[in-house]
Amino acid sequence: MTIDETKMLYVHPAPVRVWHWVNAAGFILLILTGLQLRYPEIFPFMSLQDAVTIHNYVGFVVIGNYFLWVAYYFGTLKIRIYIPNLITFIPAAIRQALFYGYGIFKGDPNPHHMTPDHKFNAMQQSAYLFLMVLLLPVQMITGLFLWDVQYFQDYIQVFGGIKIIDSVHVLIFFFFAAFMCIHCYLATLGHTPFAHFKAMFTGYEEHH
Amino acid sequence: MTKKRIKCLLMYGVAALVLSIPWPSFSADISNDDCMQCHSDEGLSRTESEGIKEKVYVDQNAFNYSMHNINGIKCVDCHEDITELNMDAELPHSAVLAPAQCAKCHAEENEAYQNSVHRKAKGKGVSIPCYSCHEYHYVTKLDSDSVFERENRFCLKCHNPNNSHDWLPQKEAHFAYVECSVCHAPAAAKRINLRFYDLIQQKFLNADDILAALKTDTKGFMPLIDIDKDGIINPDEFDNMVFLFRQANLRGTFHAELVVEMSPSVHQINRGGAQGDCNQCHEPTSPFFQDITFYLRTKDDRLVTNQVDRKVLETYNLNHFYALGGTRVRLLDMIGILIFLGGLGVAAAHLTIRILTIPLRQRRKEQEHHS
Repeated sequence: MTIDETKMLYVHPAPVRVWHWVNAAGFILLILTGLQLRYPEIFPFMSLQDAVTIHNYVGFVVIGNYFLWVAYYFGTLKIRIYIPNLITFIPAAIRQALFYGYGIFKGDPNPHHMTPDHKFNAMQQSAYLFLMVLLLPVQMITGLFLWDVQYFQDYIQVFGGIKIIDSVHVLIFFFFAAFMCIHCYLATLGHTPFAHFKAMFTGYEEHH
Repeated sequence: MTKKRIKCLLMYGVAALVLSIPWPSFSADISNDDCMQCHSDEGLSRTESEGIKEKVYVDQNAFNYSMHNINGIKCVDCHEDITELNMDAELPHSAVLAPAQCAKCHAEENEAYQNSVHRKAKGKGVSIPCYSCHEYHYVTKLDSDSVFERENRFCLKCHNPNNSHDWLPQKEAHFAYVECSVCHAPAAAKRINLRFYDLIQQKFLNADDILAALKTDTKGFMPLIDIDKDGIINPDEFDNMVFLFRQANLRGTFHAELVVEMSPSVHQINRGGAQGDCNQCHEPTSPFFQDITFYLRTKDDRLVTNQVDRKVLETYNLNHFYALGGTRVRLLDMIGILIFLGGLGVAAAHLTIRILTIPLRQRRKEQEHHS
């Protein structure tokens, strides 16, 4: 394939790119300060008080940023790119899993072809939907409760106590930390290791 | 010498010996009842020099429960300048009495107080004597009091903590669960008090309720709970205690608070001397989380304390107590580390296989190129 045959597809509009990178920076800061909060005796990044302050501010930025995502995707009805097609989902997900687990090593082509209206493969769709509709809201709500435990104490009681809220927050924190590793790794699976990273800045994915 | 003379001499000798002993200036002649003849009158007051009336009524019921009365201290032991009462006079004793000298009995407390901001305030024209905090006649035992009770009766009478704690994360939670002196008297020993809150009756249960439900008494409680007989309730024993509570239809939660031990150093509070470093407390090995007590307060205000292993703080039996660093659930950490290493491991394994299979893909590319 030559460079002339490369087609540039505009798949990441500006609001999505802004949301994505603010979210990414927010997640990194929340993970670092979260580690500092949970393991103050191990991590020497900063004082506990600074970690609390940064964690709180960044938490609110990520919550605000989430509403940017909601406004964009629901406002433009592009949220449908996250909704799996119930008829084709299972075979498409199996095809995609076989590609990641086997075909990619042999050099098979990716069974999913990205277009602006069909941006995610079946596995990405289900993973991101789970993440954006369930995990992130739960993390934001538990984080909000932990931000002012006295103010939200009635809600905290309803869910079984502060330790339950903290446990949910911490488990999702570990999940997000693991997700960041896998997400960054999968982003290197483009036609070059940095192709998807570059696209997330320019908005254009190179289609070969 | 006759037997009668010997007996007489012995009696005089004993009397002389008793009289020669340097007894403290306790006036055995004036009883509390003598004082209460007048001071039980709710309307009794005296007029200060500025014409302000001050009540001198003493609530005998409250006084009876005071530590001083329980320990047999009489009115005139503190008001020692009253040596006699002239009941025929309109005022049976001097109109102006010397201040009570608390330091005569509470020397260590006084020493700590002398080096405190409350004592130093005198230089600025503000006098804060002992009874400003401790009240005159109703000093009670504080050991079993909650943070709320301790603070309301002491610090919050003068201080509004909202004025000076904006820097403190979770300000309201600290106020609710941590006694002021825990940070403001750093030298004082700290402990975590656990109490049982009954969710059905919506109240803290006292010892009598709990012991009756468990069909035991204060002496039988620890042997019932402390299975390994080491004097400390460990997490398994605590689990078992919760199970026994449920069997006895006691359904509730354990409420935990951070308080100071009642030691003299509690009085040594100084401006700028408060513990402001969060890491001192919010750290797993912090001394703030070492001494845990499940205490039972009897109806007559006696305290039965039961030592609890600090690891209990890390269990879900204490769902409503959480302090960064101090109450971490270790199992959760292990699950979390597995989740994280799982993610990292999948990425690393996939990358490794991709690198190892580079020749395979290159061969395929070359074959496709040739064909």
